[in-house]
Amino acid sequence: MFAVLGTMGLVSLYFLSIGVPIEKYADAGYSFFLLLTGSTDFSMANPGYSASAIIMSGAGITLPLALISLVILVLIALSVAAISTTTEYLEKKHGNKIIPKLLTFGKAVSILLAAIPLFVGFWVFGEKYGNNAPFLLIAFITITLGGLGWDASRFLLIDMQRQMGTTHTMVFSTLGLPLGRLFPLPGTFSGYLLSSSFPRFIPYLAGKVPAIIGGVTIAEIIFSFPGLGSTLLDALLARNTDLLIASVFILLCVNAVVTFIVKTVLFFLYPRLYEKAI
Amino acid sequence: MKKLFKYLQNFCIIILVLPFLVVWVPSILDGFLTGLSPAYRSSLVLSFQQLSITLLATLLFAALITLTLGYISILWSAIGKIIAAVLEAIESVPAILIVLFSYAPAARYLASHSEASSSAVSLMIFIFAATLTILPESIRGITLPLGELYYRKYSLSFRSYGFRRSKILAVLMRTDVMRHAFKRIAAGILLKILVLDCSFGFIIQLGFGSYGTPAHASPGALIAANRDALFQGGYPLLFWLPVLPLVMISIAFLITLTNNKENEK
Repeated sequence: MFAVLGTMGLVSLYFLSIGVPIEKYADAGYSFFLLLTGSTDFSMANPGYSASAIIMSGAGITLPLALISLVILVLIALSVAAISTTTEYLEKKHGNKIIPKLLTFGKAVSILLAAIPLFVGFWVFGEKYGNNAPFLLIAFITITLGGLGWDASRFLLIDMQRQMGTTHTMVFSTLGLPLGRLFPLPGTFSGYLLSSSFPRFIPYLAGKVPAIIGGVTIAEIIFSFPGLGSTLLDALLARNTDLLIASVFILLCVNAVVTFIVKTVLFFLYPRLYEKAI
Repeated sequence: MKKLFKYLQNFCIIILVLPFLVVWVPSILDGFLTGLSPAYRSSLVLSFQQLSITLLATLLFAALITLTLGYISILWSAIGKIIAAVLEAIESVPAILIVLFSYAPAARYLASHSEASSSAVSLMIFIFAATLTILPESIRGITLPLGELYYRKYSLSFRSYGFRRSKILAVLMRTDVMRHAFKRIAAGILLKILVLDCSFGFIIQLGFGSYGTPAHASPGALIAANRDALFQGGYPLLFWLPVLPLVMISIAFLITLTNNKENEK
């Protein structure tokens, strides 16, 4: 519903501002209907573009890239938060000074990576790999450069650090369970902190999905992948309204699907917190 | 020791944003970059001059709207809920799509008018589009701490003295917590605009060439125009020269954001 209404809203605004005749609205509406019904030749004005081809460019490239990026984002945030919180714990409890210094160096590197513009990273790697760049590498660049990974790690870290001072965490730390220094696995100290922070972290992730899709779109344009980003740019270049509607719609669908997956995870993990958090 | 560290950090931040000051006095660069063509040098200076104008204008516009809507959201919670729903819908659309759609209707105007007027209109469209993409996060940045102060900490004692809600909020807006929040929001807005402006400029230059919109210059577009400099036989400095100040400025904003998040703890 969000994708259908969003597409109709964006395209109507576009038509209104360029002042197209009323027939054009009807044509675009009919093309949109053909797209929704999965017609093989949905565009009347520009025959040759099939709905399934555009859907496939979203399902085959944009969606997997967005999902891989999301997984990498989660892994980086969890790992950074676990390393930082356990190091802070060790420093406070055992006076360990060496690892915190390494951590400061790590923070400086993460700021440096976050400051490098995403498109610069894509172009430098694009020059090396061309169209054969692996999805995993693109997803990794999308998250590490441009600040997405940095922001997610900081969000989770600050939340987990807040939990460290609470009484229930202090009680848990006396049980003698492993710290979980590299990853917050269940049954570890960092895993326990994460279980308190997760209900806030998952809605945060859901809010970051559009930013991930935006990054993936830029990657598709730079690497010339036949994904939705390239289709969208082609549509703008050719002033092809039908293709524009289709690519915006599928892009919003991909956005909605990834957000839905993230929110479903929250629903299954914390059913009681779901309504409050969302 | 802590104070000294803070002074050092502020000094570093000033050094990192120096490119913005240098481009307004281009004569400083006279002794440097002599091997570059005058056209490239003037494009470099112009793109950073325009970026500084874009950042400043968008920051002022976005901050004004953020403060107003953030204040209203807490003052009248019914309006706050409507604003939150609208902003949530805006946030669900990728920022790059919002900017692309904002430019599309004006593309013909920008192509058919003089450079000065199309540049000004292009800047205005960008400010509008960038503000739209920034608002959800920046308003949340105001309403969360302000709401917490109002509903949890001070409201009861203030109300017991018979103060009106608007008066209480006006007092709370001047607290240290809110000052840190404003600083963090400003750094966040600047970083987001910087990223959006340069990414958009890069993509448009890549797709449409120099005739594409936005018509206002951007370091992203300059980087894209010289992207082939990385290929064999090219002059890589043309590519990396605008990247370096961009990274410096981004680091300055990121340091400011990191400090404020730590203060928040």
